[in-house]
Amino acid sequence: MNRIETDVIIIGGGATGAGTARDLSMRGLRCVLIEKNDIASGTTGRNHGLLHSGARYAVKDHESAHECMRENKTLRKIAWHCIEDTGGLFVTLPEDDPGYHRLLLEGCRYAGIPAKEISIRKALQLEPNLNPGILSAMTVPDGTIDPFRLTSSNMLDAKERGAIILTHTRVSSILKEGSKVSGVSCITKNGDVIEVMAPVIINAAGVWGQEVCAMADIKLPMFPSKGSMLIIDYRINGVVVNRCRPPADGDIIVPGDTVSLIGTTSKEIPYDKIDDYTIDDDEIDILLSDGEKLIPNVKNTRALRAYCGVRPLVAVSGEAEGRNISRGIVLIDHKERDGLDGLITISGGKLMTYRLMAEKTSDLACKKLGVKKKCKTHKVPLPGSESRFSSGRTVKRFSGIPDSVVGSTFYRHGQRLRNIMTGEKKNYRLICECEMVTEGEIEYAIKKLDVKDLVDLRRRTRIGMGPCQGELCAYRGAGLFHEYGGTTPEGSVELLHDFLEERWKGIRPVLWGDGLRESEFTYWIYQGLFGLSHVNNKKKKKG
Amino acid sequence: MIYDCVIIGGGLAGLTCGIRCAEEGLRTVIISGGMNSLHFSSGSIDLAGFTENGSVVKKPFEYIKGTAAKKKEHPYTRVGIPTIRKSLDFFKEKIFFEGITLNHNSDYNHFHVTAIGAVKPTYLSQESVFSSRGKDIIKSGAKIAILNFKGFRDYYPEQTAANLKQHPLFKNSELILGDISLPYYLHTEKNLHEFRSTDIARIFETERYLPRIADEIKRAAGDADAVSLPAFIGINNYREIRGKLEAMTGKFIYEIPTLPPSILGLRIDHAVKNSFFKHGGEYIAGKKIESSVITKGIVESIITGSRGTSSEIKAKYYVLASGSFFSGGLQSGVSSISEPVFDLKVKGDSKRSKWYSWNFFDKKSHPFLSYGVETDSSLNPSTQDGKTVKNLFCAGSVLAGYNPVKEGCGGGVAISTGYKCAERIIREIKK
Ligand SMILES: Cc1cc2nc3c(=O)[nH]c(=O)nc-3n(C[C@H](O)[C@H](O)[C@H](O)COP(=O)(O)OP(=O)(O)OC[C@H]3O[C@@H](n4cnc5c(N)ncnc54)[C@H](O)[C@@H]3O)c2cc1C
Ligand SMILES: Cc1cc2nc3c(=O)[nH]c(=O)nc-3n(C[C@H](O)[C@H](O)[C@H](O)COP(=O)(O)OP(=O)(O)OC[C@H]3O[C@@H](n4cnc5c(N)ncnc54)[C@H](O)[C@@H]3O)c2cc1C
Repeated sequence: MNRIETDVIIIGGGATGAGTARDLSMRGLRCVLIEKNDIASGTTGRNHGLLHSGARYAVKDHESAHECMRENKTLRKIAWHCIEDTGGLFVTLPEDDPGYHRLLLEGCRYAGIPAKEISIRKALQLEPNLNPGILSAMTVPDGTIDPFRLTSSNMLDAKERGAIILTHTRVSSILKEGSKVSGVSCITKNGDVIEVMAPVIINAAGVWGQEVCAMADIKLPMFPSKGSMLIIDYRINGVVVNRCRPPADGDIIVPGDTVSLIGTTSKEIPYDKIDDYTIDDDEIDILLSDGEKLIPNVKNTRALRAYCGVRPLVAVSGEAEGRNISRGIVLIDHKERDGLDGLITISGGKLMTYRLMAEKTSDLACKKLGVKKKCKTHKVPLPGSESRFSSGRTVKRFSGIPDSVVGSTFYRHGQRLRNIMTGEKKNYRLICECEMVTEGEIEYAIKKLDVKDLVDLRRRTRIGMGPCQGELCAYRGAGLFHEYGGTTPEGSVELLHDFLEERWKGIRPVLWGDGLRESEFTYWIYQGLFGLSHVNNKKKKKG
Repeated sequence: MIYDCVIIGGGLAGLTCGIRCAEEGLRTVIISGGMNSLHFSSGSIDLAGFTENGSVVKKPFEYIKGTAAKKKEHPYTRVGIPTIRKSLDFFKEKIFFEGITLNHNSDYNHFHVTAIGAVKPTYLSQESVFSSRGKDIIKSGAKIAILNFKGFRDYYPEQTAANLKQHPLFKNSELILGDISLPYYLHTEKNLHEFRSTDIARIFETERYLPRIADEIKRAAGDADAVSLPAFIGINNYREIRGKLEAMTGKFIYEIPTLPPSILGLRIDHAVKNSFFKHGGEYIAGKKIESSVITKGIVESIITGSRGTSSEIKAKYYVLASGSFFSGGLQSGVSSISEPVFDLKVKGDSKRSKWYSWNFFDKKSHPFLSYGVETDSSLNPSTQDGKTVKNLFCAGSVLAGYNPVKEGCGGGVAISTGYKCAERIIREIKK
């Protein structure tokens, strides 16, 4: 059995956990982050990626709105390579209460959000695909944020400052000494047991936080509320389009990379279903028909995939609906709440308030350890966002390599581009043509970004996320995994199998039209032409 | 002009039908909108590879005879064993004249090796995939070199070797890996690492390069008796190229199909098209049939239209060989399956959640793969109101009632139903 001694253990590799690892490392503390799956594989990788202006909460939840606005400004500075400054619109449809528009403007003013009323003509200029029948419009400083890049960049920084990141390793029990925690016991993918010892444990396990607390015999009921989202294969809007009414189903369309995303539904689910991630046909219907009301073009556009996430909201008594619970940050010192010293739970909040959550958590952890260092995460840029070079200048430095290839690597990795690209032809050949992922980027991700399988690789690079959903690049990626990742060749074929199964989960709910065509093709290639499920060693472990 | 026969779709089914009709002197035209499935296929013709529960079929004709009795709507039932046999012989003979030899293992299936090292049953293959010599070499436990073109991103021979080694057929063989490279390419402006199989095939087709390629093969393969390459040794004069390479290297050369475009499939595509031309057929490429006029169960005309200019095509008989969803022969909406040209009656569930299986590689495969146009025993379809369309026949993967991947029968169904449609039309016209 392996044993590691450290100062702080962080359970959960979502944005919150990653941000905490970075914060603590910057304050000179040693920490070990343990993630049962891959980084950003929980709720962090299953949301809209909206860099809220806070306007969505401005009417009902001033505190959240205010927090959003503040973090919005900070993240634009420290994480610019993960952010797109799209701007946002709130539009009122003929069927909506026209009074909400005023209410929202006032709320925004109160929360310090620079919302501005604009004419309908102006709104249509900003967003030509918008429903021309809208009654009123306002702009807000919404943006988009890539959760995978953000989390990975926080992890990378923490690691460069000495933190240990263990992915595909699950915490299975919390060790105690009297009324204090002393460490955790965890299990790796291969079944090896590792014990990590520390006086402080941070539960940043999101919606799984209830389970983690249960390991310490503490009851912390979570309120799981599932939200489904639909990705369409075309960027039909350049600006985030919100519906101007109290938050409800299907009221937002967020542009991102080359696609747009319609969000979201909200459905209460029992706690034992949080890992199911099933999307019902009626949720798809709602998203399509409501999305169409905001941008009529939705109906002519191919649905690429659908996915869902579960909101990590801590249940407060008497709440009937997931959406009504405050998205406020919940920081619990279990010494005060339950008499167990050393355990901290951080939950609630939002992706884009991850830094603030990490700061609050790290402050508490430092207090417990008697460390008097201040948080610097709001000042020091993340790896990739170090200095602001324009994409144009960067492209010039790599002359000889197609601009578009340099551009998309820069887009994903910011200044770390320098650690990825070389002038070698093999380095910049394209492996995924849809998303322009090069062999060099794959090598870098496998070697430097804790990538253990093809699904992880997709989260770091966008391989297989484009219109073809991994038709050809999945095979190439598997081949390279053997080359750079040290996987056996048989193992790389298994990774290929698992990757395609994972992709299928998102395609399945929207299997019609071009999506069905594409899937028939992918099936022919991998089952017809390659005989993937006929390979000899592939079976046993799948049940 | 009124044709005797218009065929919609120039894939394996449409072309087989076309060659047979043209050979009989019928005025035949094929209209095809886009690339057919051969561009992506293994280039082997599967007849019946797997049983219902997924085990390998040894003798396909025997198997078809057994299941045919049970499944009335299976296309093989409609065609019947004698015609299936006749159609395959016909097909083999026709493309032999176009430079492609298709071998079979008497009445048994043989195996072909896939890129990831799976071993799959099939019935007809090119000599570089199946021949009695190749069979002997494998049986004798010879040393096999699994080679790749250095830097080719569409093939990873380590996977082939690793999985193949675990297969009983290869347990006595010694498998080694190697790369061949051709330095003079490096002069090209293109990123050689982004070459597709077709780019490399072109190089193999260049006569003066062959000695260097042969040297490279010899170097990389050492004392191996046989060499496998990803399929890219030429498209048009492949028989000759392969012969020369074998003579120069003294080694048996095997080909493994990899990511599209499939060179093995392209060879067949070129061969069937050439045969069709030689028999006097007319081929209109890049035109899509958009709609049709049917009155009282008779197709009066079909309509092609590109950007506002539509024109009518008339014939005595029509064949729909437009492929499955992939080729556009079938269409799916949010909760409907349809056939777009004639709006024929199709088999398919109206509930979307019934179309697919929960796992991508589910043992049961996916129901949507067996959706398609329903026909009667003469391969005549019917319109939505249930009326048979008498001068329209359907062939190939547009048909319902079989799952080509799960059963391993795509090529066999395409050829035999295409042939059967032709026979029906010939008989009607000669009446
Ligand atoms: C539908 C939806 C839309 C949303 N949209 C937005 C948005 O647009 N903008 C925004 O800012 N926020 C949004 N959010 C909120 C945001 O996604 C979450 O608040 C945020 O991602 C939470 O991150 P986290 O790190 O706290 O939790 P998670 O990302 O869930 O991380 C917890 C991690 O802990 C791991 N874990 C669990 N148990 C164990 C164990 N025993 N051992 C080891 N690891 C374990 C999990 O695998 C997981 O990776 C949305 C949420 C939902 C559901
Ligand atoms: C990717 C893939 C790989 C395959 N691999 C194999 C294999 O290895 N072995 C095997 O035995 N089988 C394989 N098959 C099965 C294959 O379905 C059959 O073997 C056979 O090739 C199907 O031929 P077809 O003529 O019915 O259809 P297709 O080959 O699909 O041809 C249909 C043609 O009709 C055209 N068309 C469609 N609609 C219109 C219209 N309205 N107007 C004009 N033209 C139209 C299309 O553009 C296309 O060219 C594969 C299928 C696919 C999709």
